[in-house]
Amino acid sequence: MRVVTPKVARQIIHHGGSARIDAATAPCFSVGQRVTVRNIHPCGHTRVPRYVRSKTGVIERDYGVFVFPDTSAHGEGNKPQHLYNVCFCAQELWGSTASKHDFLYIDLWDDYLELA
Amino acid sequence: MSNTGRNGQPHDTEPKDIDLRIKALESILLDKGLVDAQGLNEIIETYENRIGPHNGAQIVARAWTKSDYKKWLLNDGTAAIASLGFTGIEGADVVVVENTPNVHNVIVCTLCSCYPWPILGLPPRWYKSAAYRARVVMEPRSVLAEFGLVLEEQCEVRVWDSTAEVRYMVLPERPPGSEGLDEKSLAELVTRDSMIGVARL
Repeated sequence: MRVVTPKVARQIIHHGGSARIDAATAPCFSVGQRVTVRNIHPCGHTRVPRYVRSKTGVIERDYGVFVFPDTSAHGEGNKPQHLYNVCFCAQELWGSTASKHDFLYIDLWDDYLELA
Repeated sequence: MSNTGRNGQPHDTEPKDIDLRIKALESILLDKGLVDAQGLNEIIETYENRIGPHNGAQIVARAWTKSDYKKWLLNDGTAAIASLGFTGIEGADVVVVENTPNVHNVIVCTLCSCYPWPILGLPPRWYKSAAYRARVVMEPRSVLAEFGLVLEEQCEVRVWDSTAEVRYMVLPERPPGSEGLDEKSLAELVTRDSMIGVARL
């Protein structure tokens, strides 16, 4: 096990880890496409909050290929895939009492999404 | 004569349960050689004195004064911020979102407490609270009003939930009356809360 000495601490603090990964994985979606978040309920680690599941939004940005936390957190590999920023209208998430001028932007991986 | 102890705690106050637990854990980790005392000091020293919202303030002041830099910052936040020497853990990929008179951005991490450490330091306690995390996505305008920021109905609100490893920072609007100020003086006007998006300047 690596003990964090001052030198190691500086290395981690100033150069520590991007989860971006150099893998030639094609994106499943493109900017502007409408997507629905899959209604999945993983038992372990996940980064898809319940409040966006089954909701439909628009791909706002494609951030490139990142490690997939749902598998990497369990030591089941990086499963590299595209990470997107997806935009939802507040009314899609919270109903008609939400302001029509409000929007929610959230980062979601390929495996969480399907075409709307 | 001072009535406070080494850490500024009054002598007559018992240390809190959480403080005792942290001290006990620290002692065990040091005794077992799993943690290096100097390494620990390096981490504490860094986040207490070197890294904090003053880093983010420099970025904002640069963007306000140099339009090319602002364009770069909004197109490729990671590179533009790294050019000022700020990078590293919890901030290896950064996206900057711009406030305008018609658009207000606010940052949250509903799943935990993700926050751009290299440019804003460690997150404030309220940012990690369940109440902020749950409510700001659902009723951002009421939460902002509780921070003292009442937005016009027509102003678009964009809430950014940092669920991945990308970290977000708000580029606040330059305050009125700051026209004659240089970059250094402008940086002094920029607050942590304005870069999270719970305040305007």
